[in-house]
Amino acid sequence: MSAAASKRPVLRVVLAEDAAIFRDGMSRLLADRGHEVVAVVADGEALVAAVDQHLPDVAVVDIRMPPTFTDEGLRAALTLRRRHPEVGVLVFSQYIETRYAAQLLGDNSAGVGYLLKDRVAETSDFVDALTRVAAGGTALDPEVVTQLMAVGQRATTIGAVLTRRESDVLGLMAEGRSNAAIAAHLVVGNGAVEKHVANIFAKLDLPASGDDNRRVLAVLRYLNG
Amino acid sequence: MSWWRGTVGRRIWSELLYVLLAAPLGLLGFVVIVVSFAFGLGLAVTFIGLPLLALNGRVARAFGNVDRRLARRLLGLEVPDPRPFRSGRGLFGWLQAALRDPVSWRARAYLVVKLPLALIGFHLALAFYGLGLFWLSYPLWWQLSGPGTLYKNVFLDPGTLVFRGHDAPHRQVAHQLTVHYGDHAYVDTWPRAVLLMLGGVALLLLAPGVVRGLAALHRLLIRGLLGRTRGDERVRELEAARTQVVDDSATTLRRIERDLHDGTQAQLAALALTLGQAKEKLEHRPDVPFDPEGALDLVGLAHQHAKEALVELRDLARGIHPPALDLGLDAALATLVARSAVPATLHADIPSRPDRAIETIAYFSVAELLANVAKHSQATKATVDVGMKDEMLVLRVRDDGVGGARIGGGSGLLGLRGRVRAVDGELMVHSPAGGPTVVDVQLPVHS
Repeated sequence: MSAAASKRPVLRVVLAEDAAIFRDGMSRLLADRGHEVVAVVADGEALVAAVDQHLPDVAVVDIRMPPTFTDEGLRAALTLRRRHPEVGVLVFSQYIETRYAAQLLGDNSAGVGYLLKDRVAETSDFVDALTRVAAGGTALDPEVVTQLMAVGQRATTIGAVLTRRESDVLGLMAEGRSNAAIAAHLVVGNGAVEKHVANIFAKLDLPASGDDNRRVLAVLRYLNG
Repeated sequence: MSWWRGTVGRRIWSELLYVLLAAPLGLLGFVVIVVSFAFGLGLAVTFIGLPLLALNGRVARAFGNVDRRLARRLLGLEVPDPRPFRSGRGLFGWLQAALRDPVSWRARAYLVVKLPLALIGFHLALAFYGLGLFWLSYPLWWQLSGPGTLYKNVFLDPGTLVFRGHDAPHRQVAHQLTVHYGDHAYVDTWPRAVLLMLGGVALLLLAPGVVRGLAALHRLLIRGLLGRTRGDERVRELEAARTQVVDDSATTLRRIERDLHDGTQAQLAALALTLGQAKEKLEHRPDVPFDPEGALDLVGLAHQHAKEALVELRDLARGIHPPALDLGLDAALATLVARSAVPATLHADIPSRPDRAIETIAYFSVAELLANVAKHSQATKATVDVGMKDEMLVLRVRDDGVGGARIGGGSGLLGLRGRVRAVDGELMVHSPAGGPTVVDVQLPVHS
């Protein structure tokens, strides 16, 4: 990580958040880390316009914004995914809605993140997640993963074929963690994690390829049955 | 001229039409219902008796519906439809419900009482208008009819109109069509004919009054027996009040959630963010430079956020239940009045404590009314009077503003009145343009 940290890219960010106090805090944090907040908006329409104009690396989007305070942020995020697939979208919410996550991930989870607002308390983790999403990776809140897995396990027959340990590993993969991070989290060796991951790929019928997306595909295939 | 309109206006003709139609309709209804009821009753021991009685009830209801609609069209009588028929489960359930249905029983009673009124009304209306017209035009008939023989014992009363008879010839007359009253009062001279004409005018002038009176009796009967009962009305009122209360509490919950989400939650998230950022500046991390001064600034900011969040939470909690209300309504209102944006004074005389629910409604009514004063009235001062009268809590909020407040004008008064009515209270607004505005709220002391 330290190697990456020293050469951390400067991100160009669009912020969409209607609570001023939170918006200010996030702007300050990002500026502190050397990133550039190119636009700050407070509703969905303005978000789409700002992204059209600035083409940032990543947009940070609050789900609930004016005028209806329901899911306009999510709808704007889906619009962004269609119009600018190359722009990362990190969606923020006070609550986790499985339905939102499923919609957002759709069939392409590259450059998508969905986090609880609370996660900003761990500022470094948040900035890491943002960087990952900007680079085309995925960042799912552990809460999202838990809920999706719960739904997925009910809905799918594949669930039966994964062992409990493999499910745990898959969940951590879904959060966007590396093998090393998973090993640290589960307090096992790297080799054990690699073996689990290989088993998961095999069971979900995902042959080895150069594509890094295989990890995310595994999660999605698991969830969609 | 209202007298003229009352005599020949459209309304009187539609009322006359109703009075005339009521007779055949009433007769038909009476015969159908009474005959089938009698049959049903007679056959009650067999298995078709009860179904017949049930059917009888449904038909009575249908007659009632027709009559109510006719009265709505012709008499302008707005009687709310009675509760629709609710069948039980299966044939037996239907039978039981139809036999018990109070609306049907009232419709039967209606059809029975209606008949005499309908028949008498029909004759009276016909007599006043028909005889009036005939007397008025009598000279015409009298003069134009040729000479002939007058017959005795002819029909059509009062005043014997002579067309033809069955008895022997009575006497020879100059005009075949001659009216006579008794054996001697023959209207066969011009003075007598003119007198009869004047009588016709009088009848025609009286006729509208008679028709109006008859229509009023019909209305009374329909309202009494074909509309809703007091119980129905009460149920409807309570249902409306319940809907209002449920909507209201859902709205309140949504507002509280919104306030929490946009206010406190956002503030706490920002607080966590700021503290997290400060912490990392003190941790000697590889990716964040060590910066105690920067961290101190952030902690100061976080401190600020925490204090703001506390204020927001306190306001929010007070909006849910004002703590002062535990001490009594007058204490709570005193706090409220002291915080009012427009200078306000309170006169409270509450000898005994009302129910807690009533106190809460009273408190939020005054809160909302004072907020209205601040928002809309441009007033410089307001007074709040609270007292008790006949088991009612009486509130009055008065301001010296521009007036023009009305219920349903987007001022929230409509919702407020709904909440007040939900506990059988009432809210009245007196607010002429130019002011002052006085809003009276009455709440029963015990809900």
